[in-house]
Amino acid sequence: MSALLEVQSLTAGYGRIDVLHDISISVGTHGNVGLFGPNGHGKTTLLRTISGLLKTKSGTITFDGKPIANASPRSIVDMGLIHVPQGNRLFPDLTIAECLTLGAYTKRARADEAANREKVVKIFPKLAERWRQKVRTLSGGERQMVSIGTALMGSPKLLILDEPTLGLAPKIKEELCASVLDISKGGVPLIVVEQDVEFLLELSQHLYLINHGEVATEIKPGETMDHAEIMALYFGQ
Amino acid sequence: MTAPIPVSAIPSSPGRASWRKEAAAVLVAFAVLALLPFVVTDSYSRHVLIMAFIYAVVASNWDLSLGYGGVFNFGHLALFGIGVYAYGLLTKFAGIDPWFAMALSGVIATIAAIVVTIPILRLKGIYIILVTFGFAQLVMQVILSQSDYTGGTQGMVRIQTLYIGEHNMIRDGKFAYFYIALAMLFLSTVFLRALVRSRIGAGIIALRDNEEYAVSRGVSIVRQRIVTLAASAFFTGVAGAFYAGYQRNASIDVFGMSLATIILSMVLLGGTSTIYGAILASFVLTIFAEAMADLGAWRPIITALLIIGVMLVYPTGLAGFIQSSWNGVFRRDNKVA
Amino acid sequence: MDATAQILFGGLFQGSLYAMMAVGLALIWTTIGVFNFTHGVMMMLGAYIAWTLSEIGLPFALVLPLVIVVMAAVGWALQASVVRPLIGRPNIVLVVVITTLAAASLIENATLEIWGPRSKQLPPLIAGNTTILGVGVSLHQIAIIVIAPVVLAALWFFLNRTRLGLALRAVAQNEDASLLVGLNVKALYGLAFAISAALAALAGIFMGGYRFMSPVMGADPLLKALIVVVFGGLSSVSGPIFAAYLIGFFEAICSYYFGLYWTPALLFAVLIVTLMIRPEGIFGSKSRGLA
Repeated sequence: MSALLEVQSLTAGYGRIDVLHDISISVGTHGNVGLFGPNGHGKTTLLRTISGLLKTKSGTITFDGKPIANASPRSIVDMGLIHVPQGNRLFPDLTIAECLTLGAYTKRARADEAANREKVVKIFPKLAERWRQKVRTLSGGERQMVSIGTALMGSPKLLILDEPTLGLAPKIKEELCASVLDISKGGVPLIVVEQDVEFLLELSQHLYLINHGEVATEIKPGETMDHAEIMALYFGQ
Repeated sequence: MTAPIPVSAIPSSPGRASWRKEAAAVLVAFAVLALLPFVVTDSYSRHVLIMAFIYAVVASNWDLSLGYGGVFNFGHLALFGIGVYAYGLLTKFAGIDPWFAMALSGVIATIAAIVVTIPILRLKGIYIILVTFGFAQLVMQVILSQSDYTGGTQGMVRIQTLYIGEHNMIRDGKFAYFYIALAMLFLSTVFLRALVRSRIGAGIIALRDNEEYAVSRGVSIVRQRIVTLAASAFFTGVAGAFYAGYQRNASIDVFGMSLATIILSMVLLGGTSTIYGAILASFVLTIFAEAMADLGAWRPIITALLIIGVMLVYPTGLAGFIQSSWNGVFRRDNKVA
Repeated sequence: MDATAQILFGGLFQGSLYAMMAVGLALIWTTIGVFNFTHGVMMMLGAYIAWTLSEIGLPFALVLPLVIVVMAAVGWALQASVVRPLIGRPNIVLVVVITTLAAASLIENATLEIWGPRSKQLPPLIAGNTTILGVGVSLHQIAIIVIAPVVLAALWFFLNRTRLGLALRAVAQNEDASLLVGLNVKALYGLAFAISAALAALAGIFMGGYRFMSPVMGADPLLKALIVVVFGGLSSVSGPIFAAYLIGFFEAICSYYFGLYWTPALLFAVLIVTLMIRPEGIFGSKSRGLA
């Protein structure tokens, strides 16, 4: 099976400053991909570059067999690569219903809009109760649900979640984790950045440790590394 | 676009050059300017220079409120207009001595600035633009409606000129007016530079750059904004009065968008927060505009295109342009894209 | 009775014109976060193009849609040339004020070159006069009083009930998130300018039908639109609409009881008091976003 997303020798950053140096990752060959590593070392930058928000300086990104480096975010979304950014404020003055409609804005997604909406309601039944409520009036957990729900409306072939549980209360976090697992089991491959090791290990089979804008360690399924070692990588460096 | 002022007069980081060096550079620059009438003898060229000095005063004072203060005061030209009409009305209807009227016009503009500052004390950004712009339009409408005194849309004519003893101000090839204008620019420049280098100036800049921090360190927004606006108004009003006495007429055009656009582009093209940049840009733009005098109606069109072009290409204005061409010519090795 | 009717018509009429102008300004501010000083000349240009088209003999029913399409294109082009290249600059608000002011001066002077200084007038939407409630009004004014709310309601419907309108509101709130759901942000910015210019042009046609046109005819309506958006708040489209009618009535009352001369001064006084009490406007909220 060839990789769904292939990032090769990617260098990117902000202005003159490079954050990513010659980084390569491969997604889709060994299940869900988890990215971890210290903050400020390029995880979010990598995701933003993949989804087209940042330009690449060199290197290639291939999704679904087509090159997408420096393509517009719109065309990338249209191909089914959908990114839920970190700390997503979403659209504070739109209602949940409106956000979900926007999620299906691309031509490809519009065809499945009704079916996808049903799917989202099934995964996040809470949202249906507050259909006409504005996003700004929701709790952090509910807002994250709307964010992920909006992404699902775009019929993702690959879903990027950047710290979905950031800043959530434990009970709500658990609920959200269960939903994300459901989504994964429903057949949508994921790239996840997550600070919660337990959740990350439960969700992803293929791990990359990103450090100083490079892949420091890659852990494929089978190359078992024990829990303690990963914990050490997580907190040790 | 070579500059008539030596580049050494423009500190790359304002406030850091020692005041001795800066004072010396200013004196040299003004001495060079003072010698100009002996080289430039025709009255038309002198007229262009006088206009450049007037615009330089208006633009550099605007740089104080806009650049240093960070207050988007779009009523600055109204302060100039108030100076124009104050001088005209004071000399014509109150019979006040022209020199005294000129100083009084500065005071009146200062008071007007304080009045317009009150509603914008709590406002930010775009709302300040809107209110001050509205203030300018209001002043214009009041002047228009009082046509018995101000001449309405016709403007005021035969305004009293300035005088120096028995000297004939009109038939000396603008010799005397040249020096009055230059003296005004000199005093204004010294005042502005001394202000921005002082403790008050530091407070103004601190407030612009980090309002919360500055306030927590005891800088008062209310006092600082009033001081900034008032300080930027005095010489602007004086320049208006001088303009009225020099042109001998006053017209409502001083409140128009086109003059405001040109002066504002002097401030921005020169690069804000330098004072000198605005002065330099005023010279360049005024002389440039005169060079195009033959183009007639095309002149404002070309000026507008030029302004847009520079704003698109050089976000930091002429200062950035000079900096980059300087780097390009003298430091080829230092290529940082 | 006479006074009430006069104030009623005056207020409705002025309010309609102000609303048409102010809504366009607010639309651009909420979507792009810049202030468009060409709004007044867009109004003027719309009226001049309409004049030329009706001079060459086109029926007014054809002139109206043509002008709207042409001016929408002008608005789009303006955005692409003097606004879009500046997006992302730290001092964008100020720089766009300059570039749009310069563009306004350019269009104003070009108009003077092309059409000359002689003042012109457009045919009224409907010719003739009538008497309602004992007050003589022109049918042109009645037409404006009726058409403006319809146009504004259509705009509201577009923003709140269509997918494209939803996208426009979304861009106003969060650009990154808009990109990540696949919106064409640049095109939406262009759309905001296009709609705004079309509305201004329509207001220009309304105005050219009862007053002489000149290259500076847009300056006063722009000023009034500024006052309206300050008063109504910049954060929505409905706020300025209410404020426009409120100010229209305020002006009608002032000019009836105190005369035209005092009206601008009183208006400004009210504006200052409003800003001192509620800096974000009467109907405004602190956020930026269309509603």
